[in-house]
Amino acid sequence: MIPQRFCDGITRRDFVRVGALGAGFGLADFLRLSHAADAKPAKATSAVVVYLGGGPSHIDTFDPKPDAPAEFRGEFKPIDTNVPGVQICEHLPKLAKIADTYAIVRGVSHSIAAHELGTEYLSAGNRPIPSLVFPGYGAVVSKELAGDKELPHFVAIPSTAQKAGYLGVRYAPLQTSDVPKPGIPFSVRGITLGNGLTVTEFEKRNNLLSELDTTFKGVAADSKLIDGMDKFAQQAFDMIRSSKARAAFDVSSEKPAIAKPFGEGRFGMSCLLALRLIAAGVRFVTVSFSGWDTHANNFKSLQGGLLPQLDTGLSALLAGLKEQGLLDTTTVYVVGEFGRTPKVNEKAGRDHWPRAMTALLAGGGVKGGQVVGATDAKGAGPAAEAFTPDQLAASFYHTLGIDHRKEYHTATGRPVMIVREGSVIRPLFG
Amino acid sequence: MTTFSRFIALVMAICMLPGSAIAEDKVAPPVSERYKAAIEEVPNFQRHVIPLFGRLGCNGRACHGSFQGQGGFRLSLFGYDFAADHAAITGGETPRVNRKSPAESLIVLKPTLAEPHKGGKRLPADGWEYNLLMAWLKSGAVGAKEKDAAFASLDVEPKEIVFGKLGDTAKLRVIAKWADGTREDVTPLCRFRSNDESVSTVNAAGVVTAVGKGDTAVVAFYDNGIVPIAVLLPVSDKVGAKYPAVPTPTKLDELVVAKLRKLGIVSSDVCTDAEFLRRVSLDLAGTLPAADEVQAFLASEAPDKRTKKIEELLARPTYAAWWATKLSDFTGNSERTGPLGGEQALNREKAGQWYDWVYRRVRDNEPYDKLIAGIALGIGRRTDQSFADYCGEMISYFRKDKPADFAARDTMPYFWTRRTLGKTEEQALAFAHAFLGVNLQCAQCHKHPYDQWTKQDFDQFTAFFSGVRYGLGPRAETVAMKKGTPLEKLDEDSGDYKRKFVNLLASGTVLPFKELHIPASQKPRPGMKPGVKVGGRVLTPKLLGGEEVVNATYSDARQPVVDWMRDAENPYFARAFVNRVWANYFGTGLIDPPDDLNLANPPTNPALLDYLADGFVASKFDMKWLHRTITKSRTYQLSWRPNDTNRLDERNLSRSVLRRLPAEVVYDAVVLATASDDERKKLDADPVGLRSVGRSSGYAGTRQTDAYAVMLLGKPPRTTNCDCERSNEPALLQTVFLRNDPEVFKLLDRPEGWLKQVTKAKVTDADKLIQQAYLRTLSRLPDEREAGAAKKYISDAKDTQSGLRDLLWALINTKEFIVNR
Repeated sequence: MIPQRFCDGITRRDFVRVGALGAGFGLADFLRLSHAADAKPAKATSAVVVYLGGGPSHIDTFDPKPDAPAEFRGEFKPIDTNVPGVQICEHLPKLAKIADTYAIVRGVSHSIAAHELGTEYLSAGNRPIPSLVFPGYGAVVSKELAGDKELPHFVAIPSTAQKAGYLGVRYAPLQTSDVPKPGIPFSVRGITLGNGLTVTEFEKRNNLLSELDTTFKGVAADSKLIDGMDKFAQQAFDMIRSSKARAAFDVSSEKPAIAKPFGEGRFGMSCLLALRLIAAGVRFVTVSFSGWDTHANNFKSLQGGLLPQLDTGLSALLAGLKEQGLLDTTTVYVVGEFGRTPKVNEKAGRDHWPRAMTALLAGGGVKGGQVVGATDAKGAGPAAEAFTPDQLAASFYHTLGIDHRKEYHTATGRPVMIVREGSVIRPLFG
Repeated sequence: MTTFSRFIALVMAICMLPGSAIAEDKVAPPVSERYKAAIEEVPNFQRHVIPLFGRLGCNGRACHGSFQGQGGFRLSLFGYDFAADHAAITGGETPRVNRKSPAESLIVLKPTLAEPHKGGKRLPADGWEYNLLMAWLKSGAVGAKEKDAAFASLDVEPKEIVFGKLGDTAKLRVIAKWADGTREDVTPLCRFRSNDESVSTVNAAGVVTAVGKGDTAVVAFYDNGIVPIAVLLPVSDKVGAKYPAVPTPTKLDELVVAKLRKLGIVSSDVCTDAEFLRRVSLDLAGTLPAADEVQAFLASEAPDKRTKKIEELLARPTYAAWWATKLSDFTGNSERTGPLGGEQALNREKAGQWYDWVYRRVRDNEPYDKLIAGIALGIGRRTDQSFADYCGEMISYFRKDKPADFAARDTMPYFWTRRTLGKTEEQALAFAHAFLGVNLQCAQCHKHPYDQWTKQDFDQFTAFFSGVRYGLGPRAETVAMKKGTPLEKLDEDSGDYKRKFVNLLASGTVLPFKELHIPASQKPRPGMKPGVKVGGRVLTPKLLGGEEVVNATYSDARQPVVDWMRDAENPYFARAFVNRVWANYFGTGLIDPPDDLNLANPPTNPALLDYLADGFVASKFDMKWLHRTITKSRTYQLSWRPNDTNRLDERNLSRSVLRRLPAEVVYDAVVLATASDDERKKLDADPVGLRSVGRSSGYAGTRQTDAYAVMLLGKPPRTTNCDCERSNEPALLQTVFLRNDPEVFKLLDRPEGWLKQVTKAKVTDADKLIQQAYLRTLSRLPDEREAGAAKKYISDAKDTQSGLRDLLWALINTKEFIVNR
C-alpha cells in the first residue's frame, strides 16, 4: 500500500521515522511541550453528552435575568440553588438542589444561527467547513479510549447528529433508534436477541455459520480484509452472546429505588439507560433530547414538558452517577446548538440566538457549584469574556485526558487537530 | 501521441530535457563538491539557499514552514515564496542574518546549536552546507532577483531502477536546467521520497535501497520540478525468458502481463463461471444475480457466454442505477448540501432530480463528456427566458401531480447551487476534484507539496468561476411574485417560509426561486490587463497546466474550461474517469487514491492507463466501451485464489483482490437474497427508488429503512471533495448488524420474502431448498461438505422452515456473501 500522503508532503512513515531518530518533532508535540504546565491528570474515563436539540433558551434555564425588562425576562422566576448566589429557573427545582455537582458555563457565544450547521458545530467543537466532516465527541472518545470488548464503545440514544467524519466508519455510533419504556424489557438493535432467540440457539446458529464460512480459510494471513472481518466476527459474537451488554441495556431490570427518580418520560428513561451503560463500562453515551426550538409558546412548552423532563432526567442521572461513585470518572456535558433571543417575540416565543447560550459540565474533575462566565444585563451577549463551542469541546476532552491539540490526518492527508481553535477553560477545574 | 505520453509531456515540459543523455561538459558539479572547502563563489538564493533549507528540514511544516512559524521565524512551506522567505530571513524584529559579522547570523548559530534551537542540531559546523550558507552571508545575503533565469526542468538518471536482490542500491543523479540553458547537478539539494518504504527507501543523498520485493516509485523534488522514478525488485526468479506462457487475449491483458513479467509475478488462473457471474453482476450493476440466472448461466455451453452476459448486464436498468450512484458520488449529489433559505425544504427532491438526470443519461449511454458538460455548464434560467417563466419551469418539477420531467432538461444546475460551493475557491476545488481527479486543496494556501501547482496557478484557475453564484433573482419581480401570498411578510430563512413555500408549490403557485448567475467571460478593456478582478487583483484565467485564456468572449465564463476538458488532448479529464471506473472493478485505481492525480503519484501501469484513456477518448467517451473493455479482459476474470508468486500482490493485477461490497450493494444483496421470486422481478425492473443503489442522495441520515445500515457500511454523505468518503472497510457494528439486527430479521421474515414463499408453496425437499439458498446468497451451488452440514442442521431443527431460516441467516453472514471475490 502507498503510505498516506499529507498535504505538507510528509508521509505517515516519515513521522514515525523522524520521531524515532529524534531528529524533529511535530507541531502537536511542540504545542504539547509549550503548554506542558497545563498538564493535569485526567479523571474521567467515560462521558455522557446530553444534547438539547433545537437550542434551549438560556434565559429560561440556567441564565435567568430577573432584573431585565419584562419582554426580556420572560414569564419565569429564578430560584436559589444549593450553591449560595447561584440561581436558575424555577422550573428546575431538582437541579437547583444539586447545583454543587455541576458547573454552569454562561456567555458561550458563536455566530451560526441555523440548526444543522449549529448542531454540527456543537457536536464536534469545530466550526463546520465545506471540505471536511469533523468527527463528533463520541467518535473521538472511542478512538482515544480503549473500551470493553463485549460492549459497544459509542451508544446514541436514540440517535445523534454526531458523525464519525474523517475518522471513518469504525467509530460510528450504535444507535438504539428507540428509547426504553418503563417496566418493559428494552430491545436494542444488534444487542438484544431477536424473536425470542436464546443464547443457546444463537450459539447453535453461529456454529452453523462457522462451519459454512470456510471459503477464505487460509488467506486471512495475507488479507487485511478477511483478517479484519474474522476479528469483528469474534467480537460481535462475544458482544451478542455475553449477558453484559444485554443486561446493561435492559432498563427494566433496574432496581426500583434507582429507577424511580428518573420518572417515566422518554428523556428520563434515556438518562436511566445512559447511567446503566456507563456503569457497565460503555465509554461514551449521548442522549438526544429535542423540542427546544420554541419560536412560539416558549413558556408553555418549557413549563409544560421540556423543563420538568430535563429537571427529572438530568438530576437523576447526576445523582445516580454520584451515588454509584461514577461521577468522578464520568464527564457529563449538556448543550444545544444555540441560545434563544433575549427578547420575547409576539408569539410568546424566542428565536435562534447563537450570541449567547449556556452549557453545563459535571463530573470528571470539573469543579461543581460554580458559574463560569456571564452574559450582559439582558442576556444578549457575553458580559465580558466570551466562551466558544471550541473551548467547551477542548475542556470536555481535557476531562478525559484527551489532548484536544492532538493531530489526526484526514484521508486526503490533511493534518487536523481534534479541536482546531479551542483552549481549555481553566476556571472549570478550579 | 498517446494520452499518457501527453500527460508526461506536460509533466516533462517542466521536468525533463529532450533526450536523456546528460552532456557532462556543461553541467555544474554539485554544491556538495564545490563547497567542500570555504570558497568565494556566491550561491544563488533560489537555486541553492532555499533548497538547502528544504534539505535541512527548516521549512517543513513541523518547523519554520508551519503557518504560525516557529520561535518567531516563519518560512514558506517547502520554500516556494522566495521573496517572503528572503524578507523573513533578513528582515523583521530579529533578522536571522548579520551582514556585518556573518558568522554571528542566527541562521548558522541556531542550527549548529551554538545558540539554543528547539529544532535541534541541523547543520554540521564544518560541512559544505555551512560553507555554502557562509558564502551567501558574506556576499551580502541577497535574495532572488528578477533577472535570475527561471527554473525550467528537472532530469533524473536513471529513469527506472530494476534491482537484483535485497540490499542492492542505486544512486540517483538529478540535473536541473534553467531558462538560460545553464545546468547543475542538484542532487544534494533535492528532497527525495519513496512512495512505499517497504519496497525501497531513499536517503537524503539520493541513494535508493531495495528493502522488499515488489515495485514502487521514488520521487525527486527540486524547485517546481517533480520526477518519479519507477523502482522494482522481482518477486520471483520467473522473470523475462523464464516467465511462463500466460494467455493475453486482449491488449489490456498484454499490458498487464508485460509488467508482471518484469516483476516475476505469475497470474492466477481464470475464475469459475459462478465466480464470474457474481463478480460482474455486483461490480457492473451493483446487483446479486438471481438464483435462476446463476443456474442458467452455469448450464449454458455457449463459448461466448461471459461476453454475452456483459452485454446483457449493460442493457439492464440496474447498470444505470449503480453508475448513476457512482456518478452522484463523484459529482457530490447530496441533499445535505443544497441551498439554505426558502427552497431549503426542496433539497431532498432536488437530489432526486440530480440522480434522475444522471440515470437517464447513463441508461441512454450518452457520451461521458456530454453528460459532464451538462453538469459543468449547468444553468438555471435560459437567456431567452423571463424570470417568471424560469420560476414557472422550476415549480413544474415540484408539482405533486404529474411533475415535469427534470431529466429532460438540457443541463443540470444543482452541482453549482450547493451551499458548499458559495465561494469561487470552493467551486474551483469541487470542479477539479469531480471532473479532473485533481486535488487542489493544498495550492489554495501554498505551493502544492507534491505537484506542480502554485498558489498562483490555483488563483488563475479559480478565475474561470469568478461570479458564478446561486442568489436572488431580480428584486422587483421577486417582491411582486410574493405579493399577496403568505410568503409576503415572512423572513426567507424562517421555518415558516420554508414550510409555506413547499405547500404553495404543491398547489402550483408560481413562487420566486433563486437563480444561478453565470457571468460572461470578460473582454479586456483597452489599456487594461485582461482578466477577472479578484480581491483587487486582476487575474487572467489559466487552465491547469495549460494556457492563459485571454481575449476570448464566451457567453459563459466556464465554457473555455469545459472545452479544454473535452479536448482529446486533455491530460486529466478522460484519465480521471477511466481511473475511477477501474477502481470500481479492482478495488484500487491504477492511480491510487483514484481522485489524486498528481506528478508524485504515478500510475502503477502507465501504459495501461494510457491505453484505456486513449481508447475511451477514441470511442467518443462511450462509457459502455470502457466497462466492456475492462470486464471482457482476462485480467478482470482472474481467480482470487493466489499462487506462490502473487500471494501478496494487491496492485499489479495478477489475481482478483477480495473486496467488501459497497454499502448500498450490501444492503440490496440482503434484500435480494431474501426476496420472493416475484418481488425480485419487480426490484430488477425498476431499481430507482426501490433499491438502495437507486436512492438519489448521499447518506443523509433520513428515515429510510436502509439509513442506519448504509451509514454503518460507509455510504458517503457526499459533502466534501474526496472519493474517500465512501468506505468499504469492515467494522464491528457492520457485523453486529448482519448478525443480529431487527432490520435483517424483518427482511428474512417479510411477507413477500422467499422463506414465506416456500412455506406457502409447501416446498419440503431439503436438498433443493439448500441449493436455492446457496444460489440466492453465494451465487453458487454448495459443495458436498456444505450441503451435508446444511442438511444435518435442517434435519436437527424443529422443522424445515426454521432450519432453512437459520441456514439463510448463516449464508448472509458468511464473509463470502459480503465480499466480492
